Amino acid sequence: MSRIPLVSVEQQPEPMRQWMARRGNLKVFRLLANAPHVFPAWTQMVDELFESPTFSRRMREVVILRVAHLQGSRYELSQHVGIARNAGLTDQQINAILDTDHSDAAGFSDTERTALDVTTELCSTHRLRDDTFAAAQAVFGDEALTELLMIISCYYGLALVLNATDLDVDGTARFQP
Amino acid sequence: MTRIAYRQPEEMTEQARELTLKRGNLNVYRALANAEKVFTGWMVAGQAALASPVLPVRLREFVVLRTAYLMDSPYELGQHRDVARTAGLSRDEINAITSESAWQEADFSPVELAVLRLTTELLTTRTVSAELFDQVHTALGSEATVELLMVISRYAGLALMLNALDVDLDETARLPIPPRQASQ
Repeated sequence: MSRIPLVSVEQQPEPMRQWMARRGNLKVFRLLANAPHVFPAWTQMVDELFESPTFSRRMREVVILRVAHLQGSRYELSQHVGIARNAGLTDQQINAILDTDHSDAAGFSDTERTALDVTTELCSTHRLRDDTFAAAQAVFGDEALTELLMIISCYYGLALVLNATDLDVDGTARFQP
Repeated sequence: MTRIAYRQPEEMTEQARELTLKRGNLNVYRALANAEKVFTGWMVAGQAALASPVLPVRLREFVVLRTAYLMDSPYELGQHRDVARTAGLSRDEINAITSESAWQEADFSPVELAVLRLTTELLTTRTVSAELFDQVHTALGSEATVELLMVISRYAGLALMLNALDVDLDETARLPIPPRQASQ
């Protein structure tokens, strides 16, 4: 049972109703909508993350699933396992990402492995060693690497909100990336 | 030394440039602006959090400092030790919040202590006991509680980015405390 009451979509101002119609009628949005001074701007941030052409949907989901797993976010996993599958990840790959050690899984590209290494090290130690950073910078360049950090940052932080409020997973509503 | 090149305000979108300059043209913004396709949205989200009249600034700085300490972010600590002073926290209060356990003995209100406890428990265990959560929720209400959690969320995520990029603390520039929207 969520520890904070969820607001009803009907109570939302029109732009937020439209946004939820587009992105999905999710409990996380009805939770965050309790804070109307900050929620609309947060939706703009989410839109930019998902509309950016920098990463493929598949790459984004690799990173999001890994963060969700490392943060122990049941809610993020409940949404993103399906999205990851739709984005082309196999069940074996998804299971590998949700395992303690992802490195022995077949079928990840070198770029995906690099992203997984960055995500794992950063979420577990809160920093990156020089060689990890240098490898990622060589693969991604400054712009994409910083954007990768933005994705990690967003889902790492959101997992804390979801875990703190013990938000129930959605029934059938799914995020539309 | 910061691990990537800084962007200049002239290279940003108009909205991002305006917000960057309004927030002190800090190194953190010029580093994150490298992610030019998502930086504007991130800045807009931060501005809304800083301008909201709901969560008292003093309590916000409690949470930011505690998060910065637990995430081990020298940059956030360097900025917010000074921002917190501007927000009215004493040096002793700031030192207590950014210590392992001295905050537990400090002369803070029950709500402030509960908020520090919640932040500590959430960042160290990734969850919060129902009793502690209810204590904060009852004291602050749903709106301010969600804002408080979003502050933890933002500064925890930001600490990861700052540490990954090893952003240098600004020599003198500090985040200004902006005027807040009128309370409704």
